Amino acid sequence: MTALLEIRDLHASIGDKPILKGINLTINAGEVHAIMGPNGSGKSTMSYVLAGRDGYEVTGGDILMNGESMLEMEPDERSRAGMFLAFQYPVELPGVGGMSFLRAAVNARRKDAGEDEVDQLAFVKMVREKAKMLGVSDEMLKRAVNVGFSGGEKKRYEILQMALLEPTMAVLDETDSGLDVDALRIVSEGVNVLRDPARSMLVITHYQRLLNHIVPDFVHILADGRIRKSGGKELALEVEESGYAGIDDAA
Amino acid sequence: MPGSMMLPDLGAMPPLDGTRGDAAARWRQAGWPGPRVESWRFTKLDALTKMDLVPAANAAGEASETGVAEAASMGAHLIRFDNGLVDAACLAALPAGVTARDLADDEAAMSALADIAPQNHPVSDLSMAVMTSGLVLDVDGVVDTPLMLLFEGAGDDASTHPVVYVRLAAAARLQLAELHASTVALAAPLIGYDIGEGARLEQVKLQRESTTTTHLASTGVRLAEKASIAGFSLSVGGTLARLETHVTMAGEFADCQLSAIYMGRGSQHQDVTTYMDHAVPNCTSNQIIRGVLDDTARGVYQGKVHVAPDAQKTDGQQMARALLLSRKAEVDAKPELEIYADDVICAHGATVGELDATQLFYLTSRGIPEDIARAMLVEAFLVDTIEAIENETLAGLLRPVAESWLTAGGA
Repeated sequence: MTALLEIRDLHASIGDKPILKGINLTINAGEVHAIMGPNGSGKSTMSYVLAGRDGYEVTGGDILMNGESMLEMEPDERSRAGMFLAFQYPVELPGVGGMSFLRAAVNARRKDAGEDEVDQLAFVKMVREKAKMLGVSDEMLKRAVNVGFSGGEKKRYEILQMALLEPTMAVLDETDSGLDVDALRIVSEGVNVLRDPARSMLVITHYQRLLNHIVPDFVHILADGRIRKSGGKELALEVEESGYAGIDDAA
Repeated sequence: MPGSMMLPDLGAMPPLDGTRGDAAARWRQAGWPGPRVESWRFTKLDALTKMDLVPAANAAGEASETGVAEAASMGAHLIRFDNGLVDAACLAALPAGVTARDLADDEAAMSALADIAPQNHPVSDLSMAVMTSGLVLDVDGVVDTPLMLLFEGAGDDASTHPVVYVRLAAAARLQLAELHASTVALAAPLIGYDIGEGARLEQVKLQRESTTTTHLASTGVRLAEKASIAGFSLSVGGTLARLETHVTMAGEFADCQLSAIYMGRGSQHQDVTTYMDHAVPNCTSNQIIRGVLDDTARGVYQGKVHVAPDAQKTDGQQMARALLLSRKAEVDAKPELEIYADDVICAHGATVGELDATQLFYLTSRGIPEDIARAMLVEAFLVDTIEAIENETLAGLLRPVAESWLTAGGA
């Protein structure tokens, strides 16, 4: 069986500085993997490299989605192929209306799939339903994208986009940062609803607490650009108790 | 003689006297602006002055369907100029409250227009002298039907010099659209808006001349006491376009809201120049200018706010922002405040920027193709300016033009 996502000996740099130094990771359909690591270990770089951001140069290795290399694909192509990145810091877009943004994203995907554009009324109804579940108010939907949103609202809005775009590979970059306990619960529930045998997730986090809510199948510890240790969900608890310093290099 | 050539040969015209004679004399004296004229430093007319231009004497033909349809969709009364010549049939059955007369027969009106037009200005003087057609529109009372002035025409060497003087009587109200859509070599309209006490003009201008046309518009505005204007220009056409507007706040408590968007691609040159003269106390003016330039297009914004010594309690604001979509696009911005009164609130600013790479990445990471994502961000840059147009009828003329510019690629 072809893995949904396969990362092979991935090396990446920002400018001249190597950040990822040989990542190997295989994610099968339906699996939820967590990547944990201290600050500066390369977690966010990994998420941007997967999404194809400019300035993050892959210097070696490969990223395969359903067996196809993504390295030559632009961010929009990767997204339409099923990749989704929930941003650690969602970007404010003053002047870009929320609804037209969501519709443009959904329509781009439908166009690629040879489908008709969404019916406007049906779309508004669908967005409202999903938004309600995530505690995204109608008032937020009317505003410009992420403008004037609190930290928690921005994260919920990310998950709303994920729910609308129905990716096969979702990367959640520090989705718990800036969330209070209630917001964390709402966001996690939103994510858990989207767990599906055909959908995989890569949850990137500094702390174990998110993984109490989104329980992973596998946990990997990233340090200095490499995966140092892999295990089941109990590995996260180990980190919680002994810290990253205690992680054995002999992964 | 200064200027590389004289345009047109005024000697071939019947001798002029009065105001037009004075304008012709100034033109003969000054000619085209030379390389050292500060106000034309960023906008050179070299290509134009090398052409053999002939003021249009005949109409070019049928009205284009687009312009007529746009007037109809606005429910506007259409006054069409063909090659700078007014179509007399359009002056029959004017909306109630609007009367038309020939400007050429009315020295008093001509002199009043000359007072509010840009002063000692080569193109304004030239158009006053040549005046392919001169029209006075007097407006009294509240006119519900918008007027559309449609300027069309054709001719590789034709220059057009329509002159329109719109006078709003005290307490009058008018909505007016100017649509400039010719393929002539030089379109040089001179338009005056003389707004009487407590009167209000809501005006939009759409400049979408052909990409071979040079559009040099001179606009003069005078506001009497408690008069107001809400004006908006969208400049997308022309090989070179300059929209020059001079406003005189002549009566206290007048209010002037003037905004403009210029958009250029290819090798287009787009110039927006304004002069805001706060001659009396207690007036407000606000200018919002947005420019979008792609390819090797060039933009110019020159805006001067002048506050006279006794024009206390003036509130004068101007903010110009430009967005460069290409490394080879350029903009020159020159906002100026010239304040001689001490109790005023004035602010100005000019910024130039590029599309934000992080915003672009956010949009494309959602599957939105880059060209659409760029268009969305450019639209976002412009949206508050267009949304600020309160008159929905007039805004409706501009919105599709801006949108089609954005989706025409290159954004």
